[in-house]
Amino acid sequence: MTRILFRYFVLFTLTLLALCALSFSLIYLFPAEPVTTLTGITPQNLIQHEALINQYHLNSNILVQFGDYLSELFAGNWGVSLISGQPLSKEIMLALPATIELSACAMFIVVVIGIPLGCYSGLRAYSNADFTINSISVTLYSVPVFWLAVIFILTFSLQFGWLPLSGRVNLLFDIPHQTGFLFIDILLADNLDKSAALSDAFLHLILPTLSIALMSTASMIRITRRSIIDVLNKPFIIAAKSKGLSSRQIFVRHVLRNALLPILPLMAMQITTLITNAMIVETLFSWPGIGNWLIQAIYQRDYSALRMGMLAVSTLVVMITIAIDLFNRLIDPSREKFESVTI
Amino acid sequence: MPLLDIKNLTLEIDTGTQVIKALDKINLTVNSGEIRALVGESGSGKSLIVQAISGATPPNWTITADRMSWNGNNLLSMSEQQRRQILRKDIGVVFQHAIASLDPSVTLGEQLEESLPEQLIEGSWFWQRAQSRRKEVIRTVHKVGIKDHEQYLQAYPHQIPTDIGQKLMLAMALISQPKMLIADDPTRGMETTTKVQVLKLLSRLNQTRSLGILFVSHDLLAIASMSHSMTVLYCGQTVESGKMKQIRKRPLHPYTKALLDSAPSFSKDLPPKSLLPTLPGTIPTLQHLPIGCRLGPRCPRAQRACVNVPSVRKIHDHAYSCHFPLHREKV
Repeated sequence: MTRILFRYFVLFTLTLLALCALSFSLIYLFPAEPVTTLTGITPQNLIQHEALINQYHLNSNILVQFGDYLSELFAGNWGVSLISGQPLSKEIMLALPATIELSACAMFIVVVIGIPLGCYSGLRAYSNADFTINSISVTLYSVPVFWLAVIFILTFSLQFGWLPLSGRVNLLFDIPHQTGFLFIDILLADNLDKSAALSDAFLHLILPTLSIALMSTASMIRITRRSIIDVLNKPFIIAAKSKGLSSRQIFVRHVLRNALLPILPLMAMQITTLITNAMIVETLFSWPGIGNWLIQAIYQRDYSALRMGMLAVSTLVVMITIAIDLFNRLIDPSREKFESVTI
Repeated sequence: MPLLDIKNLTLEIDTGTQVIKALDKINLTVNSGEIRALVGESGSGKSLIVQAISGATPPNWTITADRMSWNGNNLLSMSEQQRRQILRKDIGVVFQHAIASLDPSVTLGEQLEESLPEQLIEGSWFWQRAQSRRKEVIRTVHKVGIKDHEQYLQAYPHQIPTDIGQKLMLAMALISQPKMLIADDPTRGMETTTKVQVLKLLSRLNQTRSLGILFVSHDLLAIASMSHSMTVLYCGQTVESGKMKQIRKRPLHPYTKALLDSAPSFSKDLPPKSLLPTLPGTIPTLQHLPIGCRLGPRCPRAQRACVNVPSVRKIHDHAYSCHFPLHREKV
């Protein structure tokens, strides 16, 4: 047990180190001066230039520089934004929770709708209900996310006016920033009509969540369906039937667990798709998340912000992937406990 | 009345491109307290029969039979619920691939407890019932010859050796104290001492509890000593069936004779270094079945009439299906 945890920890650290090395190399790869891309400060004169180079050891050996870079990263000094001049750690901490909130809501929908529908259609495989569900999910899977989001905006915001067009919450609500997760912040805030703020935030959440969740739900339905069908054809299901167990007992005790175990790692892959889609949709809905922030950084050639944004998002993805894999390893009895760790 | 009575069981498999008659008019009876051996080469459809009886059939199988009854009740026309009850209470099934037939995500102990029907559990409170369940499980596991129950009941299927898996399958079938056991090659690949233990256990249960056993195997040596009657299967057709003694003494069908001759210990006067008698060729695959008597292309006595399926003929309770049986002169 501790050995597995240790192995995952090593894997995590090594991956992070590789990511850090990549982001460090960006300092030299971006078409700007290394001092500028590293710190985000454009030196105004030679003396400041000299001072910055000395402060960040930019004249010394590249390994020393990397070591220095790492220690600055862990100390929380991520540089400042080239455009706004704000510390990047602060900006990312503002933007990242919004994305996590969006993706988590979408993931919730994916799991709550995708898995039961997939199970249903797997159990009724090749029936009319199955064909209906399957064709709907294939259609949804083929719809581009950005197009779907625009159609949603056109229909529900502009045509019918049911749901708000953009943003996280109406600007009339002045919600102090505490955790970055809007719903928690609303609950923590005082001097606020909480129920009104919550329902407003909820209405804002619906369209962006749906536009990213639908595609992932569609693929989740198909993955679950396939897995259920595969398990139903296994000899141990025949054996369970010949024991005289009822279909319900067989489903709960034997089918569900064996079908869901192989789905978990696939779910980890879904999360990365989800986050990518979230970044696209954020731009369309002006959702103040990391995707929107990164796109702004690209437009403005904010090199230091790009470097840190890349690192932050990829760290998040690696963390989630490894956590899900570890979880899967812990609950799956058929995986050898000392099999080497891989993602 | 026989426990299990099957007449003209036909199983058709729809592969999408063609319909294959995998079992062709199989007749089989198992009486109470009888050990019936079902023998045949691999690919002769023994396991298909087991699966057809246990009722867990894929959707592309079509089963038809003139009669398929359990204790006088028609198995084919009864509701799924009733059939499940019979399987739960009266029939125990041991499948061929033991490890694959065990759920990989559930411990063996739990799987055994699950096979135990409610009416065999004593006590009214849940802790009493849990205790009684556990006791029963350990008792059964000991009975099939697993001494180390602590270790194996906690284990998952991928952690145990194959022979333990086979014994556990047997325990799972026997724990419900059934009236009949369908054992599909329960001793496959076991070494001799273990095999003898299992066979002894089965014949003891047969004698003390008058357990009817349908013993499916191609291991003639194992079967011959313990079973009362035998049904020989070739390529999805019943070739011959009758009392074990009669068949051994005087097989009527050329295939049965070839089968018996190919087991060296049955033919006593075999000179050293002589060729073992075998039929030429191999059993045809399901995709390329010959018409008529399916043994036709390999049969030494085959003639033109063999392109028609021979009807079942009977001499007392010895049934065979052959146009030119061994007790008649070659025409």
